[in-house]
Amino acid sequence: MSVMNLHERIPADLKVIPKFIRALTEKIKQLPLDERQLHDIKLSLHEALVNAMKHGNGLNPDLYVEVHVESRNGYLSVTVSDKGEGFDFQNIPDPTKPDNLQKLSGRGILLIRRHMDKIKFFDCGSRIKMIKFFKKGVKK
Amino acid sequence: MKIRTEKNEDILICALEGEIDINNSPQLRKAFDDFIKKDEKKILVEFSGVSYIDSSGLATLIEMFQRLKKISGQMRFCGMNQKIKNAFEITKLHKLFEIFDNQEVALKDF
Repeated sequence: MSVMNLHERIPADLKVIPKFIRALTEKIKQLPLDERQLHDIKLSLHEALVNAMKHGNGLNPDLYVEVHVESRNGYLSVTVSDKGEGFDFQNIPDPTKPDNLQKLSGRGILLIRRHMDKIKFFDCGSRIKMIKFFKKGVKK
Repeated sequence: MKIRTEKNEDILICALEGEIDINNSPQLRKAFDDFIKKDEKKILVEFSGVSYIDSSGLATLIEMFQRLKKISGQMRFCGMNQKIKNAFEITKLHKLFEIFDNQEVALKDF
């Protein structure tokens, strides 16, 4: 099985996200992940990067977001860290509640949670680790 | 993202193509601004060419829904693939929007 261990630093500039994700997706394509899983990782990484850049680094391009991608035996982990003070990740309002349904923000973490197999916050929420298990039978 | 439009009687069909994300959501918002300025009140958004939508794209659609509602307009969606449909279901936005399998069924519903 292919082993991967990547560290990247990208400025807090939303415009760099598509190119960064395209390049990373090309690299993880060699792993035993199917097309649906690649989509899920891409979407989750996108949401995590937007949160890190906007809420963590305040869109200050002088502040960097760090991304660590690692493939282990059976899974891929993607960790995104920002320079912010974190947030109360244990009390995120539920965006699916009727009162919140028409709000224009607050869906990113829900999308990550539902598209990845496991997520965990560290450093008061300024670092998120997202796990996707490899799919049995996907040969690369 | 590409946006193509065509009219079917009084309904404006807006076909989206590509990825809808935080970087091109303003383009979508601008297109909807133009529709509203042109007094389009029935809009069908065709998603069959959309491969990806993020939370900013979803928020832009909510914004458009709210604006249309204020002027008694209507918006329907159709043609979503399973990945896009999932994003609406996870966020429960399928309860807010009217989503149809294809254009034919959606057009009949207006």
